[in-house]
Amino acid sequence: MSAITLTSLTKRFGEVLAVEDLDLRIAEGELVALLGPSGCGKTTTLRMIAGFETPTEGSIRIAEREVAHLPPERRNCGMVFQNYALFPHLTVQENVAFGLEMRGLKRSEIRERTARILDKVGLKGLQDRRPRQLSGGQQQRTALARALVISPAVLLLDEPLANLDAKLREEMRFYIRELQREFHITTVYVTHDQAEAMVLADQIAVMMEGRLRQLGAAVDLYRRPASAEVADFVGVTNLLPGTVRDRNGSRLRLETAVGLLSAEGGERLRPGDAAWLSIRPEDLELGQADGGNQIRGTVRARAFLGNLADYRVELAGGQLVRVQTAPGARQREGDEVVLGFKPEAGWVVPR
Amino acid sequence: MGGTEVRVRLWLAVPALAVVTIFFVIPYLNLALISFYEPSHRAAYIREFTLANYRGTVLDRFTWQVVWHTVWIGAVTTAVTLVLGYPLSYKLSRASSRMKGLLMMLVISPLLVGVLIRTYGWMIILADTGLVNQLVQALHGPELPLMYNDLGVLIGLVHVYVPFMVLSLAGSLQAVDPDLERASRSLGAGAWRTFWRVTWPLSLPGVVSGVVLVFVLAESSYVIPSLLGGFTVLTVPILVIRTITELFNWPAGSAFALLFFAIILGLVWAFLEVMRRPLQRLQ
Repeated sequence: MSAITLTSLTKRFGEVLAVEDLDLRIAEGELVALLGPSGCGKTTTLRMIAGFETPTEGSIRIAEREVAHLPPERRNCGMVFQNYALFPHLTVQENVAFGLEMRGLKRSEIRERTARILDKVGLKGLQDRRPRQLSGGQQQRTALARALVISPAVLLLDEPLANLDAKLREEMRFYIRELQREFHITTVYVTHDQAEAMVLADQIAVMMEGRLRQLGAAVDLYRRPASAEVADFVGVTNLLPGTVRDRNGSRLRLETAVGLLSAEGGERLRPGDAAWLSIRPEDLELGQADGGNQIRGTVRARAFLGNLADYRVELAGGQLVRVQTAPGARQREGDEVVLGFKPEAGWVVPR
Repeated sequence: MGGTEVRVRLWLAVPALAVVTIFFVIPYLNLALISFYEPSHRAAYIREFTLANYRGTVLDRFTWQVVWHTVWIGAVTTAVTLVLGYPLSYKLSRASSRMKGLLMMLVISPLLVGVLIRTYGWMIILADTGLVNQLVQALHGPELPLMYNDLGVLIGLVHVYVPFMVLSLAGSLQAVDPDLERASRSLGAGAWRTFWRVTWPLSLPGVVSGVVLVFVLAESSYVIPSLLGGFTVLTVPILVIRTITELFNWPAGSAFALLFFAIILGLVWAFLEVMRRPLQRLQ
C-alpha cells in the first residue's frame, strides 16, 4: 500500500548533477538503506522524497500517489534528521504532539497517542523535559517518537545514528530495526556506514556520484558486488588487476601479476577483457593452499585486533593485500608466506 | 590563581569604564543636579535646591502631549522597521555565505553616510517640490504632503533604523536551524504555521533586542524629527533642546529630559517584563 516508487529521478543544482536517473522501488513495509560516500546523492534523494527539494526530472510516488510537486506537509512522511531537529522551545511532550496538533486532533486523543508512543520508546517520565536536557540517545528516541506518532505513510531517516557514540549506535541499530518491523512501515534509511546498512536494511541501494550502482541484500552486495567501487565500499576487499584468460561455466581464469587465478563472477566479461579480482581479507588463508589458488608474498605488518589478526602482505608485484585470520597465527613481519583462497571466494568485476 | 585572573580582567575593563564615566555618567549626574536648581535669567541656573522644575513639567498638559506623540512615533518606527526588517533578515540568514556578505554590506552601507546628509537627501525627495511630487504632478496627481509632518519623520526614522533591526534579527534567525522548519513542515504544518510555531518564537531574542534598540534610538533622535518634521512635529528631544537653547531654561529642560528618560526606561522595562516568559522558554 505505502510503497515508494522513484522513476527517472534527477536533481541538478546548477551545473552539478546530484542525482541522476534514479529508479528505485521500495515495497510496503520494507527498509531500504541508501548507502554511499558523502556527496553521492543519497541525502538529496531522501530530501526529494520528503519534499524539501523539488526534482529536476522524474517522479516520486508514495502509495501510488504522485507527490513530486506536493509540499512536505502534504506528503505524510515521518522524518528523523541527523541532528534530530527537535524544537528547542518545546518539551518532549510538545515535540511529539506537534504533528498531531497540526492534524487537528482532539486534545484527549493527542494526549493519549503521545503518552502511548513515549511509553513505547522508553521516554515515560521525561515528557516535561526540554530537548537539551536529554542525552543523545533520548533525543534520538524523541525524534523517532515524533516521526512515528503521526502514523506516516513512510519513515525517512537521515543518518540518524551519526551523532551517537559507537556503543549506543550499535544498540540503536537493532532498536530501530525492531521498531520498524513492529510498525511495519516503509522506510528509507540514509547512511554512509556500511555496517549500519547491513544490520538494518532488507535491501541496500549503493549510490555513487549521483547514480544507483547496485541494489540488493547485504549478502549479495558483499559476495557479488557489481563493480570494484561497490566491492571496496561494502566491507574491506583486496583488488588485484588482471586480464581474463578463459571461462568455464561460472568460473573464470584470470591472468594477474602473481600468476593465473580462478574465481567466480564477471558474467559479461570475455577472454582478453581487463578485470579486477576481489578477495575479502577473511577469505585469504595464511600459509596453506589446499586445492585452490596460491599467491606468494612477504608479511609486512601485523596487528592484533582481539578477535582476529590483521596482516599486510606484499605480493610479488609489490601490491599490498590485507589478510584477516584467527589471532593465533604465528607468521611474523618479514616471513615469506603462501596465501591461498578457494575459487568460489574470489569475485571478478570489470575494470 | 583564579583570583589574580579575575583581577587582571577587571583591569582590562578600566579604560572603557573611564570613558563611560567621564563622558556619560558625569554629564548625566550633572544634568540631574541642574534639574533641581532654580532657573535664572542671568545665569544657566542658580544653585538653590527646588522641586519646581519637576512640578512644572509634570503638571503641564503640553508635556504629556509631546511625550505621547514621541512615544507614538518611536513605536510606529519600531513596528515598521520590524515588519520591513524581518523578511530581509530572514533572507539574509538563509543566504549562501557569499550572498550573505554582499547583503550584509548592502544593509550596512547606509550607515556609512551621516544622518544629516541622508536626511537632506530625503528632503530633496519628499519636499513639496521634490522628486516624488514632481513625478506625481507630471501624472496630474495632487500635491502630496510628505514632509514637515509625521509621515516625513517616520520615513526618515525607519530608513535610518532598519539596519539596526536587521542586524539584531539576523543573529537570532541565523541560529534557527533550517532543519527545524523542515521538521515542522514534514509534521504537517504549512509554511505559515511553521513560521508562527517555530521560526518566530525561536527568533524572539533578536526581536526583543531589535525592538528595544530601535525604540530607544528613535525616541532620542533629534536631527531627523527636526529636519523632516520642520518644527511642526514636536518630540521630547526637540522640546528639551528648545527649552534649553531658546528659553535658556536649563533646569526645566534637564528635568524634562530626566523625566522622559525615566518614562522610556519604564516602557522598556515593561516590554522586557512582558517578553520574559516567552524568552524563558528558550533558556
